[in-house]
This record gives sequence, C-alpha cells and structure tokens, in this order.
Amino acid sequence: MHNLRDFILKHHVVILFILLEVISILLLANSQRFHRNRMVNTTNDVVGKIYEWSSEVGNYFRLNNANEQLAEENAMLRQQLSIVYDTTTCSYDISQGDTLYKYIPAQVVNNSTNQANNYIIINKGAVDGIQRDMSVISTDGIVGVVTDVSRHYASIMSLLHSKSVVGVRIKESQELASVKWETNNYRYGMVEDIPTHIMLQKGDTILTSSHSYIFPEDLMVGTVEEFYPTAVDALNKAKIRFATDFATLRHVYVIQDLHKPELDSLKARLE
Amino acid sequence: MNKTVLQIVRFVALVLLQVLVINHIRLGGYVHPYVYLIFIMLLPFNTPQWQLLLLGFVLGLTIDLFTGTLGLHAGATTLMAFCRPSIIKLVSGNQKFENVQEPNLGQLGGAWFFRYAICMVLVHHLSLFVLESFSFRLMGQVLLRLLLSAPVSIFLIMMVLFIFKSERKRE
Repeated sequence: MHNLRDFILKHHVVILFILLEVISILLLANSQRFHRNRMVNTTNDVVGKIYEWSSEVGNYFRLNNANEQLAEENAMLRQQLSIVYDTTTCSYDISQGDTLYKYIPAQVVNNSTNQANNYIIINKGAVDGIQRDMSVISTDGIVGVVTDVSRHYASIMSLLHSKSVVGVRIKESQELASVKWETNNYRYGMVEDIPTHIMLQKGDTILTSSHSYIFPEDLMVGTVEEFYPTAVDALNKAKIRFATDFATLRHVYVIQDLHKPELDSLKARLE
Repeated sequence: MNKTVLQIVRFVALVLLQVLVINHIRLGGYVHPYVYLIFIMLLPFNTPQWQLLLLGFVLGLTIDLFTGTLGLHAGATTLMAFCRPSIIKLVSGNQKFENVQEPNLGQLGGAWFFRYAICMVLVHHLSLFVLESFSFRLMGQVLLRLLLSAPVSIFLIMMVLFIFKSERKRE
C-alpha cells in the first residue's frame, strides 16, 4: 500500500497525462464510430448562442446578398406555385407524389469547411420541430443531415464529412450511384460507383435518388466536373462540383418527411 | 490585474479568437492555423505539471466543443502541455532566468520566443493531425498539412504576442 502511494506520488504527472490522453482518444473514437456528436448536446445551447451572436454581426454585411438570393427563390416558388394552383377549388396542393414534406427555414450560425469532418449549426431546434435524421437543403442543393438536436439549435453533418454518403441518380442516364466527399476542397465531391458502360460529360446533373431514405427525390446535388474512366476497375469515377456553396451558406431549409414514421414502422415490421 | 482573472480572460479571449475568427480563415484545404495554444505557452514557469496537463485538456476540450470534434484538440493540447517543461529546457539551453516568472516577450526576447513557439506548435500540430488522420487522412497528407499549417500558426502566434507585448508594459 505504502509503495503504491509512493509510486503514484512520484509518477502522478505521467499517470495524469496517460489518463487524460486515454479519455481524449476514447472520446474521439466514439464520436467517429457513431459519427454524431451526442456528447456535445449538453453544451450545444451555449455554443450555439455564442455562434449566433457572432453570425448576427456578420449577417449585416451580407444582407444584400441574402436579399437577392431570397428574391430569386421567391420568383422560382411563384413559378412552381402557378403549376400546382388548382383553379377549380382555389386550393394549393403541395403534395409531391404521395409523400408530403414540410420545410422549416433556418439560419446557419456556424459552419466549417476546412476540417476532415465538418458540422453546421443552425438556429432551429427541438422546439421548432427539428428531429434527428431530417435532411437539410439550401436554395441551390442538398446540404446534409441533422445529427443532433438541442432545444434551440441543431447540428448538421455536412456533405463535407468523411462519413457522408448520399444515394444519387445521374439525370441523363437514370443510373444510380453514390456521392462522397473525398477531396480537401469544399467545392468538390466524388462519385465512385459509376458502371463502366456509362460515360459522363462535364456538366451532367447529379440528383438525389428515391433510394436515399434521407433526402426527398430529385434534389440537386451537383454537376460533373471531371470524368475518370478506369480501364482496370469495373467502376468509373467522376469528380462533381456541389451545387451548394458551403463557404457562403446562410439560409437553409430542414425537410420534415411527414410519412417517415409510417415508412419506418413498415421497415421495422419487415425486419 | 489579478493573476487568475488575467488567465481566465486570456483563456476566453483566445478560445473566441480561435473559433470565431481563425477557424473561418480559408487558405486552401491544408492550412489550419491554431493560436489558442498561446494560453498554455504563457502560463507561469512555476505552474505545477498536473495543472499544466489539466489546463491543456480543458482548453482543448473547449475548442472541441465548438468544432464538434470531441477529444481531438484535447489530446493534442494535453500532449503539448506534457512536453512544455522539456521544450522550455531545450530552447533555453544554458541560459538561466532567475527573476522571470512567466514566459514573456519583453524579458526573454524574440529569438527565444520564436524557438519556443516553433517547438510547441510542431508538437501540437503533429499530434493533432495524426489523431485526426487515424480516421481519415494518410501520412503524406499529415506531413503536408503540418508543413503548410505550422508556419502560419507560428506567424500568427508571434503576431498576437507582439500586439499584446505593449499592452503588458502599461500595466
């Protein structure tokens, strides 16, 4: 006993050092495995508040751009509305196929593009109806998936994340593939599983597929920037440019799939 | 100003500078400067080692909370805090500072501080990028990021120190 106490006293620095490093690595390993920052939840409101103050200051300088973007979107929505406006009953039918979506507008309060795993924090949380696994889009294209929700804030796993995979469809050929983020550049993503017989051109459009349980169908993901045909492998690759500009991301919409509980319970019954 | 209050103010100011300003600097995909380590660098020479370690851990964890990378900065900063006494010995060589209480630019000089900053930043950045790469990047990219980020960090750290050097004299 005496020896043990002496040993601890003598080596307390090294023991503490090893203890702290083990805690760090455990935390890191867990956050990687579940790739959702559950632990952050307790402090997310504090962190969110600080980021919100800071982004409020920045927002004044971006008002012009934001106005333009919103005006453009208004125009686009008006155009779409004219298609679904039913003149006989004077009502709007906003159902898209047989799936109903609800859009919750939110503002980005913090966003990074230069980490290996990027998260976005928005100023809407559980009280606004945000739930885990909801998809997030911007006016230009898809953004990410909600991974964690606190009362007033939510964190989103950005497309710019090492674990992010999105099921997509190539518009021109209807072929299914999946998009990952593998470059260090926030503008580009990778499609790695293109069948050999499919040749892509620069500028081809990549949309979300109906096989993705997270995103609604036919949302803009990006356009092909460079096509890499491979002679050896069975699959071709393509570099795509994300439609969303993550560096200037301000306004986003969280999509609530109103049929998701039904779909989930059906899937649960199948298993 | 009370020493403890000064340390707390420094802690908060550096964390905010890091997460609100520096983290938003985009200089290509590989350059990620970190200046929050100034806090550990400037702690008094007689700080007990266990305090250094705990402060390093808490500082790193605070940065982690903001970036959503729990454990990453905590691990790297703890390692840096652990190495601090050896690094101070290494960069001081035969020099003895009898009446200097804490590392400061005025009494120890720019050259000493520059060497100190290089060693601390290299230990911190290398461990940070290696920890990050366990899940994502390869060794070549770790070295590339180190070579590109470390000089920017050292430059920013020296700049912050020079700006606050004049402040300290007025006290």
